[in-house]
Amino acid sequence: MLKGCVTSGAFERLSETASTLVNPEMRRWKEEGGRIVGYFCSAMPAEMITAAGLLPFRVRATGSTGTELSDSYFSSINCSFPRHAFNMALRGEYDFLDGLVIFNSCDHVRRIYDHWIRQIKTPFVQILSLPKKAEDAQVEWFRDELSILRQRMQDHFGIEITDARLREAIALHNRSRRRLKEIYELRKGLRPPVTGAEMLAVTVAGTAMPQGPYSSLLSDLLADLAGKEGRADYRARLMIIGGLLDNPEYVSIIEDQGGLVVADSLCFGSRTFWADVDENTHDPLTALAQYYIADRPSCARMYTEYPKRVEYIRNMIKEFRVDGVIFQRLAFCETWGFEQYSLTNDFKEWNIPLLCMDREYVLGGIGQLKTRVQAFLETLGR
Amino acid sequence: MDAKKERSVSRLREEIAMFEPILEVLKLAPGEMGNLQTFIIEDILDSHKKVIECVEHEKPFLASQFTNPVEILTAMDIPWYFHVAHQFMAGGTGGSPHTIEDLEEMDKMGIPSDCCTLLKLLLYYQAAGLLPIPTAYLALTEPCDGVAGMHSVFMNHPDWRGVPVFAPDPPYHSDERAVDYYAGEMKRMVEFVEKHTGKSLDMGRLKGVVEETNKGYAMWMEYNDLRRSVPTPHSYVMPMSCFYLVNDMGAGDPAKTKWYQDMVANAESRVRENRPEVKNQRIRLFWYDIQPMFFSELVPWLEQEWGAVIAMDMVSYCPYELIDTSTEDTMFKGLAKRAFLHGPMVHQARGLADNVIHDITRIVKDYKIDCVVFPGHMGHKDMAASASIMREVCRDLGVPFLHIGMDVCDKRYTTVEEIKNKMSHFFTAMGLG
Repeated sequence: MLKGCVTSGAFERLSETASTLVNPEMRRWKEEGGRIVGYFCSAMPAEMITAAGLLPFRVRATGSTGTELSDSYFSSINCSFPRHAFNMALRGEYDFLDGLVIFNSCDHVRRIYDHWIRQIKTPFVQILSLPKKAEDAQVEWFRDELSILRQRMQDHFGIEITDARLREAIALHNRSRRRLKEIYELRKGLRPPVTGAEMLAVTVAGTAMPQGPYSSLLSDLLADLAGKEGRADYRARLMIIGGLLDNPEYVSIIEDQGGLVVADSLCFGSRTFWADVDENTHDPLTALAQYYIADRPSCARMYTEYPKRVEYIRNMIKEFRVDGVIFQRLAFCETWGFEQYSLTNDFKEWNIPLLCMDREYVLGGIGQLKTRVQAFLETLGR
Repeated sequence: MDAKKERSVSRLREEIAMFEPILEVLKLAPGEMGNLQTFIIEDILDSHKKVIECVEHEKPFLASQFTNPVEILTAMDIPWYFHVAHQFMAGGTGGSPHTIEDLEEMDKMGIPSDCCTLLKLLLYYQAAGLLPIPTAYLALTEPCDGVAGMHSVFMNHPDWRGVPVFAPDPPYHSDERAVDYYAGEMKRMVEFVEKHTGKSLDMGRLKGVVEETNKGYAMWMEYNDLRRSVPTPHSYVMPMSCFYLVNDMGAGDPAKTKWYQDMVANAESRVRENRPEVKNQRIRLFWYDIQPMFFSELVPWLEQEWGAVIAMDMVSYCPYELIDTSTEDTMFKGLAKRAFLHGPMVHQARGLADNVIHDITRIVKDYKIDCVVFPGHMGHKDMAASASIMREVCRDLGVPFLHIGMDVCDKRYTTVEEIKNKMSHFFTAMGLG
């Protein structure tokens, strides 16, 4: 059993933020008259929202227990994440949002926009066209999209998003990224002071609270972790990869079987902070477009980037001394479904042990998950 | 040719061997529709032969995605094949001896079962060495996640890793800025093809090709107008051939324009003389998806059992515009619009659900539709998430709506009998037919 090993006040606050939908930080922000803008995809430059003096909130369906309302809008072959998220929207659980930005992230999430504008009364809802390639023309296109979004946010919220404010926001978010990376790299050691579940909670928290306090909490956490060592009685060092995973409990179950998750390539995980936005680019919008389209580790929807994604995973495996990889996919996700096929073939060629698991957004099938992880650990000889 | 190359064209050879005798019979006794049908079959077989010739003689050729502008490729004098159309040839006639074994082999590959079968089948063809390896490859990032994912897997196959690839990336928006951007993608595509095939694009030749295809599109629009007639003039084969014909080899060929003229003339005479191909039409339905490979088992039953005709379908209804050929810029913009705004699937699946509302509203009104049938191919996840919007539009229009749920390639998912039962119950419950 690998229970969490962090004892830190900062971690407690971050963990609470990750495990609830409306956390104390957000509540305080609202009480002080702050406004919140939601978004659905890690490709959203949250810096833009921060620069507007608003709180960026990456929409999760944390706490959802059903899809009884959204089943009228989505079908049984749609991913459970939009079904749960839209169900919560219909129940009014996102009424705290003052605005929402959606991308054509995937075939399921992009339809949330179509239903949202018809059913939910959020005052400001925008959809942006996110390219699926990472070449110069696509960076330029996305830069224009951000420019349009900036103008519309300025018009709606009555605030000015100057280049100077954008630069400040970029620096602030970069600071969080660097601190996250510092914490993350502590996991390279043989006795990592944080588990995979704890690390996921820390990164998820950053998508639901103001960046200033978040960055301070990360500094506190770093100080608390200094010189600390975690447990060494794990059976294997694992990496978890795939798309959306915002529930640390899922990782906990894997770790409870004795596999310590020391690295990830997830869209709530390392891909969001492994690279920085260039702070020296003259035009901050270009810097953001360049980062979100081309520079950061990409998601499987960026179709030309498979070789880079694989290289990223292989580097992680090497640096974090990973024994085996768990690929998790939300059922009905074609983006990651086809990626899974490529990875399976390539990992076989490279002799990297891989376990592929489909799952639903809300944690379920725990017995099966445990059994499969245990069997995987057996195959690793641990 | 070595064994690998020979295998890569083996299915093309089989199809030629299968269809040529049928062609001979059709030519002997063409009947009223025979000449139209023989032209289509000959066109498909000619395109197969061109690709085989390229493989045999190591001439440059491309694999491409179905909405990449054929006008450009024709003007560049570079042969191509649409790999995604492979399933629909022999398989689509119900005559392929391989359909079941292909599906079973595909199942063994380990691609998640909830991913689109149409695309998984294509990956099986690739893995089994049944696709000719092209000089260069034109992919596409839309209209769905599966297509982009499939192309990504394609590029990772050991035999294809060395094949240069360019994938135009259609934007999600549909405004002028999006058209300009996509026209830029088309120009970058031309540069790519020039670089990898040694061919060049002559703008005068492109203008000639586009002007000829414009004539074909104009006739197609006229034909679609004729389909508004009650009764509708033709069964499903002719209308659904329109798209494939303009997108197969030889765009800009006057013989194709002549085919459209002949088809319009035939439809006109049928309307004028009240002589529809399908007698006793009682239900006019709008089939809002691509056609299944087993359509030939379903449509005759619909027509005979229920007097139900497909008055319009997703592949045939695309709001094409004729292209202004006055300048290079207008041509590229026109080709861009044809490629990402108007073509089937990219028109309906890419972009907002507003496209769905617009289509259903217009077609129900213009084509006097009695019911809208959404087959709901299991790969079309975005459309599945729009089904409630379709239902709502239909309710507002007072037209019954049926969502079936099927796999257009695989009858094991929803059998033909199950589909028939669902449709029969629906027609009965709605008092149709």
